[in-house]
Amino acid sequence: MTLSIWRYSHLSLGLISSVFVLILAVTGVILAFDAVEEKVPSYRVENFNDLNLSQVLPELRKVYPEITELTVDHNQFVSIDAFDQNGEAVKAYIDPNNGEILGQVKTKSQFIQWTTALHRSLFLKDTGRIVIGIASFLLLLITISGLVLIIKRQQGIKHFFAKINRDFFAQYFHVITGRVFLIPIFIIALTGTYLFMVRMNLIANNKVERVQQKVNVDAAKIKEAAFPIFKITQLAEVEKIEFPFIADEPEEFFILKLRDQEISVNQINGQIVAKTKYPYSALLEKLSLDWHTGRTSVLLAIILGLASLNIVFFIYTGFVITYKRTRTKIKNKFKADQAEIVILVGSENGSTLFFANQIHQQLLADGKSSFIAQLNQYNVYPNAKQLLIFTSTYGLGTAPTNANQFQNLLQKFPQQQQIEFSVIGFGSKAYPDYCAFAIQLDELLNKQTWTKQFLPIHTVNDKDTEEFTQWVKHWSEKSLITLATAPAVYNEKIPDLKKFKVIAKTLVSDDNSTFKIILQPVAKLKFKSGDLLAIYPAEDHRERFYSIAQVNGKIQLIVKLYTTGFGSSFLYQLEQGNTLSGRVMLNPNFHLPKKVKAIVMIANGTGIAPFLGMILENKKQIPIHLYTGFRYRNVLTQSYQDFASAEINLGRLNSFDIAYSREENSQYVMDLIKKDATKIVNILANGGVIMICGSLAMQQDVEQVLETLTMSMNNIPLSLYKDQKQLLSDCY
Amino acid sequence: MKLNIKFIILLFVVLGFSKADVYAQTSKYKCLIQMVSYEGEAAYVVVSLVNKAGAYEKTLAVLGPDKQWYNTLKDWYKYQTKAKEKLSAVTGASIGGGDRAIKILEIDNAKMNKGYTLRFETAVEEQKYHITDVEIPLTTVGITEMAKGKGYIKMVKLNKVQ
Repeated sequence: MTLSIWRYSHLSLGLISSVFVLILAVTGVILAFDAVEEKVPSYRVENFNDLNLSQVLPELRKVYPEITELTVDHNQFVSIDAFDQNGEAVKAYIDPNNGEILGQVKTKSQFIQWTTALHRSLFLKDTGRIVIGIASFLLLLITISGLVLIIKRQQGIKHFFAKINRDFFAQYFHVITGRVFLIPIFIIALTGTYLFMVRMNLIANNKVERVQQKVNVDAAKIKEAAFPIFKITQLAEVEKIEFPFIADEPEEFFILKLRDQEISVNQINGQIVAKTKYPYSALLEKLSLDWHTGRTSVLLAIILGLASLNIVFFIYTGFVITYKRTRTKIKNKFKADQAEIVILVGSENGSTLFFANQIHQQLLADGKSSFIAQLNQYNVYPNAKQLLIFTSTYGLGTAPTNANQFQNLLQKFPQQQQIEFSVIGFGSKAYPDYCAFAIQLDELLNKQTWTKQFLPIHTVNDKDTEEFTQWVKHWSEKSLITLATAPAVYNEKIPDLKKFKVIAKTLVSDDNSTFKIILQPVAKLKFKSGDLLAIYPAEDHRERFYSIAQVNGKIQLIVKLYTTGFGSSFLYQLEQGNTLSGRVMLNPNFHLPKKVKAIVMIANGTGIAPFLGMILENKKQIPIHLYTGFRYRNVLTQSYQDFASAEINLGRLNSFDIAYSREENSQYVMDLIKKDATKIVNILANGGVIMICGSLAMQQDVEQVLETLTMSMNNIPLSLYKDQKQLLSDCY
Repeated sequence: MKLNIKFIILLFVVLGFSKADVYAQTSKYKCLIQMVSYEGEAAYVVVSLVNKAGAYEKTLAVLGPDKQWYNTLKDWYKYQTKAKEKLSAVTGASIGGGDRAIKILEIDNAKMNKGYTLRFETAVEEQKYHITDVEIPLTTVGITEMAKGKGYIKMVKLNKVQ
C-alpha cells in the first residue's frame, strides 16, 4: 500500500511536469554542452593562483594606459576593457602577467541565448519563470519519491546497489540509471528551485550596509603597486575591478568586487574608503548557479549534462513502464462466485498479467467461466474447480505489490470445495531468487486442506514464450480445455494485421459439416504449414485461431462449421473475392521437421489441415506416415484420399490410413496405431518424430496408446521422447 | 529578371553605405553610466542618436543581451523593428542597481551642433520604462558635461577619447 502511494506520486508528478521537464532537460543538455565548450580553448594562465593585484595592475598599466575594468570570470579567464597605447579600444581575454591578448571575448551565440531564455522562462517572462520554478520543484519531489521507490524495491538502503530485477528494458534502464543519476538530478532540481525562488524574490534578501572606513585625510600619494589592499588581494578572489573613470580625481574610486565583498579604494593614496560584505543569500545564489550550470568545472558540467540527458530517457522509459503496467486491463464476464476457473495474478510491471490475460481471454472465448483478479483480491470462490496462479517475484524474492497480502487472505478465506491449482512462476535466472515467491505460493497452497495440485509448479525464464507454452500444453492436455500453444500468441509484440483474400471455399452438406477455405495474402507474407492464423470475426479483441496448411503460397484452412460457432460461421459466410484481416502467428514447434529419418502424422477431424501442407512441403521426401480419423466417409474424406494417392505417387507421402468412427467397422485412429505398432515404435526408437494434431481428447488417447507400446516393446517411457522433442503436438 | 533588379538595388545600397562609412569622420567617447541603487532585476539601457525632430536615427549602445525584453523599451523598439539595425557590435550586459557601466560611443562629427541629442532610455523587467532617463545635447560643450538621470540612471558622463 505504502509502495503504491509513492509510486502514484512518482507517476503523477512525472505526468504533470513531463512536458516542462522535457524542455528543461533538452535545453539543459545543450547548455551543459556549451558550458564545457566555453572552457575550450582555455585562457586561464598557469600561475593564476599565485598572482596578487600589486603584481598584475602595474604590468597591465604599461600596456594599457587607460583601463575601464578588469573581469575574472568563473573559468578564471581574465578579460580587460581598456585602451592600448595607440588609443584603440581593447576588449579581450588577456594574460594577467603581461597584458598579452589571448583571445576575443565572445558573446553567446543566438542559439545559446535562445536556449537559455527557453530554459529559464519558456519565453514567457515571469509566467514562464513560475512554470519552470514549479517544474523544477516537482522534479525535486520526483527525485525524492524515486529514491524512496528504489529503497523500497531493494528492501532497505543496505541493498541499495544490489542487482535490479530486469523485467524489460525500460523498467531496468529507469531504475539502474535512477540510482546513478539520483544525486546530480537532485542537485539540478534543488539549485534550480532555489534560483527560481531568488529570482522571484521569495528568498529574503537581507540588506547589507555599506560600511564607511576611517580615512586619513592627509595620507600621502603613493603608487598603485604599493597600495596595501592590492598587495593582499589575490587575483583569484577578484570578480571584477572597476577603475576610476577620471584619473587623479579623489572622489573616483577603484571598486574591487571580490567573491564575498565589495571594496572602494581611494585612487590617490590607496586607502580603503568603504566595504560592503555580500549577504549570505547572494553567496548561496552564486553557489547554486555554479552547481546548477557546472560553469566552474568541466567534470561537473559533463555530469550535469549526462544527468539532463538521462531525464529525457527517464521521461520516455517512465511512459513505457506506465503504458506496460496499465495496458492489460482486467475485464471479467463472470463474477467471482460464478467462475469455475479462477486466475490470480501477481504482477509488478504488467508482463505477468499479460500472460494471464491471454489465457483468460481464450478461456472466455471457449465458453468457459473464467475469472481473473489480482492475488490481493483473493476471496471465496464457491464454484471454482481450477485455480491458476500466475506470479512474478519482486525485489529480493518477495511478493509483487499486488500480491503482498495474499498469504493473509489465504488464511482468512478457506475454500469450501476441492479446487485443483497450478502455479506458474515468472522470473529471470539471472537472479538468485528465481521465482522464489511462486515456489513459496506453490508450497503454501499444497498445505491447504481444500487444494489439489493439478500440475507441478512451472517456471518461465525471461518471459520465454516457449517455456510458457510448455505449461499451456500440459494444462490443456490434462484439462481438455483448448488453449493456443503457438508461442507467438503470447508474444507482447504481436505480428501486424494483414489482409487476406478469399480464393476458394467448399460448401458443407448434410453428411459433411467441414469446409475448406483458401486465402491469399494480399501482400507478401512468410509462413509455413503448422503456423496459426488468428482472425477477428467481430473486429474486436476476440480472436480465433486456425491451423495453416501452406498450399502453393496460399493459406488453406480446414474448418468445421458450428451453427453457433463465432469463428467458423464467420469464415463460412465469406464469399470468393472477399477480404478479411488476420495475423499469422508463427508456431516453430509444429513445423515439418527437416533432419529426421521418418515422420508419423496423427490427426483427427480438422486436425489434418496442417499435415496437408506439410506433405506438400516435403521436398526432401522424408518418409511420412499419415494416420487419420473421421466420423463419416464423405466428399471431403474422398478428397483427402485422392490427395494422398497423388502425393504417394510423387514420393512426398509414404502411407495413408483412415479410420471412420461412425461407419461400418467403427474404428478410431488409435486402432490404426495399434495395428502398425511395431513400425511406429521403431520410428521413435530410430529418432523419428510423431506429430499429433486434432482434439485434445484424441491426443490424450493416442499418447496413452503410445505410452503402453513404448513401455511394453522397448521399456522406454513416452516422456523421454517428449523431452527429446520427438513428440510434437498442436491440439485444441 | 525581377531577382536581378533586386540584386542590383541591394548592391547599390551596400556600396552606398560602405562609401559613407569610409568618408565619415567619427569621434570616440568613453561614456560612464552610473545607476541608482534600486531593487530588482538589472536594467536594460539603450543609447540612441535622436534628431531635432525627436526621431531616432541610430542606436549607439544597447546594455542588455536578451532580445525578449527589448519590447519593454517601447519607443526605441518601435523604431528598431522597422530599422532592423545590426546591434551585435554595440550590445553588452545589462546593469544592476547601484552598478556602473562604461561604454565606448562612436559619434559622427557631422552631427555635432545641429540639434541632435543622445537619448538614454531605461527599463527594468516588470517595472518602469523611462523614455528619456537622460538626454545629452550634441554640442561641443554640452557633450562632456555630467548629466543627471531621472529614472534608474544616477548620472552619465562622457569623456572624449584622445
